[in-house]
Amino acid sequence: MATDYAAIREAIVDGDADTAAALGRDVAETAENALEAVDTAATVIREVGDRFGAGEIYLPEMVLAAEAMQAFMDEVTPRLEAEAQRSGESRETAKVVIGTVKGDIHSIGKNIVATMLSASGYEIIDLGVNVVPMDAISEADRTGASIIGLSALMTTSMPYQKEVVSLLTELDRRNDYWVIVGGGPVTSDYADEIGSNGWAPDAAAAVQLCDRMMSSGTGPATAPFIGKEEE
Amino acid sequence: MKLDLDRILDVLDKAHTGPVYNERTFNLEVVAKTIQEKVAQYGLTGTCDPANPIPADDDLADRFYQAGFDAAVDIGLLCADTNRTIRLSAAELQAGLDAAPSEFWLGSGDQRVHYRHRELDDPTPPVWTAPLSIAVAEDAFVPMVEAFARVPVIDVLQGPSLETIHGRPLRSGSPYEHIAGRYQADLMHEGLRRAGREGMPLEAIATSTTHIGVLGGYGVEGGYSRDSDIVTILSIADFWTSYESLFKMTQVYVTGGGFINGATWVMLGGYAGGPEGTAVACIAYTLLMISVFQGARGGVPPFDLAYMGNTGGRAQWALSMFDQAVTRNTHVVLQSVVNQVTGPGTKELLYESIVGLTNIAVSGTANSVGVRSAGGRLTNYLTPLENQFAGEVYKAAAGMSREQGNEIVKRFMPKYAAVLSTPPDGRPFQELYNLDTLQPIAEWRQMYEEVKAEAIDAGLPMD
Repeated sequence: MATDYAAIREAIVDGDADTAAALGRDVAETAENALEAVDTAATVIREVGDRFGAGEIYLPEMVLAAEAMQAFMDEVTPRLEAEAQRSGESRETAKVVIGTVKGDIHSIGKNIVATMLSASGYEIIDLGVNVVPMDAISEADRTGASIIGLSALMTTSMPYQKEVVSLLTELDRRNDYWVIVGGGPVTSDYADEIGSNGWAPDAAAAVQLCDRMMSSGTGPATAPFIGKEEE
Repeated sequence: MKLDLDRILDVLDKAHTGPVYNERTFNLEVVAKTIQEKVAQYGLTGTCDPANPIPADDDLADRFYQAGFDAAVDIGLLCADTNRTIRLSAAELQAGLDAAPSEFWLGSGDQRVHYRHRELDDPTPPVWTAPLSIAVAEDAFVPMVEAFARVPVIDVLQGPSLETIHGRPLRSGSPYEHIAGRYQADLMHEGLRRAGREGMPLEAIATSTTHIGVLGGYGVEGGYSRDSDIVTILSIADFWTSYESLFKMTQVYVTGGGFINGATWVMLGGYAGGPEGTAVACIAYTLLMISVFQGARGGVPPFDLAYMGNTGGRAQWALSMFDQAVTRNTHVVLQSVVNQVTGPGTKELLYESIVGLTNIAVSGTANSVGVRSAGGRLTNYLTPLENQFAGEVYKAAAGMSREQGNEIVKRFMPKYAAVLSTPPDGRPFQELYNLDTLQPIAEWRQMYEEVKAEAIDAGLPMD
């Protein structure tokens, strides 16, 4: 049965999670090339993200589109994993622990980044707001995450971003996790200064940042910082 | 100003017994859907004209107000600590607005400042508060306060804010912040003394955004005064509140009463959607912040997610519509805030200020706080001069008509439109001011004079 790419596009753009899930099941069960369908979906969600970044669509539409994308991927992923296993390739989804740091209960920026990362294939463990530094590390340990993402919207909460990096360093575990930071007052220079691995100016760039880190071939302790100058 | 304990307790009770929502359901099913419904119900879809950011349609402004009032009743404020909604009936919301003052005084001695409700096209000069809570280095703090207080057009001080206290990093929610509340009051008072403006009103507490600084610095001996200063209560996201904000209100109550400013932002492009929905949300959130927190003053302007400011066409339109709607339909002392994105030492920052401050002056606001120099992103990137300029624009525009204001806004918006998404940082205070004389360097002064001449030529009576 031919895959209905137009229908996949429409379901994601419209934020129709039920239809997207049904189309995902069709792909999983009958498509000759499931990866091509996933590529289509990924292209669509990137376009949605770009339109949000340009102010052409608004947050509710983007969140619903991301949820539709997730519903589609939930159905297709088991087949992709089975195919990967048969061919001897490993197909692991990178996990990101994300949260707004202690003393700060702003969530909208963190939510937008989490939504974009999720839509781009990352598994998100959202710790919410007011996250104690050691809790971010403990959750990353528990879930097997690769990346810890820390948001701060106040200059007075930014020291807790630094604290997470300091804890990892002092525990001699700096190579265990990539640490990325962001938020209104957080600059690329600050992110570099505190020893994080990367900074991005917006949610779309945060996805690119994570993609670069996951394909860098080096460890977080020795990788060069990725920030404003590197874009 | 005494706070009503029965109303406080009622709000606290609602925060612990009101309807329960998780984050997703509240944001998408309550906020976004309600706003969309009100925009459609009141025929507001497609009314935004970003090329003419200051509309002069009284009927439209009144329809926006009704939509905002209804939305406030239907949405309420979700308390992040309880996941319950503080929801007021229409009668309770109106009673809260009726109880808000239409005028009050802050400050003491010859520095007293009269806040009063303004109307559209009102010649009464609005109150100018500066600077915003932009971080500065600890050793620059008192000289900076002194330099700002020396500017006569600045009536009230809010910022700047501290990154460190006694050399230690200030950590939100920690005991450092408790000390910071009182410490900032001491430093502000010293700056005022050096400038010869003791008694000038202050807004508490720029350095500490959580309640802990307010607990440590407001209403305590030597701290911020409950008789002459005002506590600003901000929130975290559209139609959200928290114990932090409620604690600030209860601190004002337990210290014997005082003045509260109920303020925050609505994100344009966020859950409220486009400019029409955002204007409705700004109105609704403003009414709730004043009524729930017994605000002597309040206002919730838009903030465009596309560039994290509000000086572009659609945000300016939403800002004006929100201001006009609240001005025409209430007697409250309305605050509105212009969120610039370009940095000090650039002409673009001054052009953004002409647009934003002209807009909110003719749209009826009683007070504004600014300037958000460099979008508030960078430590030490603020100077008194752009704050002086913005205050001069704000007061000069009072008494102009909305039509006159619109022509000025249209003339200056194109001068920075191209850099809204890539704003120049400008230069820090230490590079733009002589630190011995606390006067701007010649280059920055010349930019100010040149742009001021352009503003006068456009019809703003700044001379």
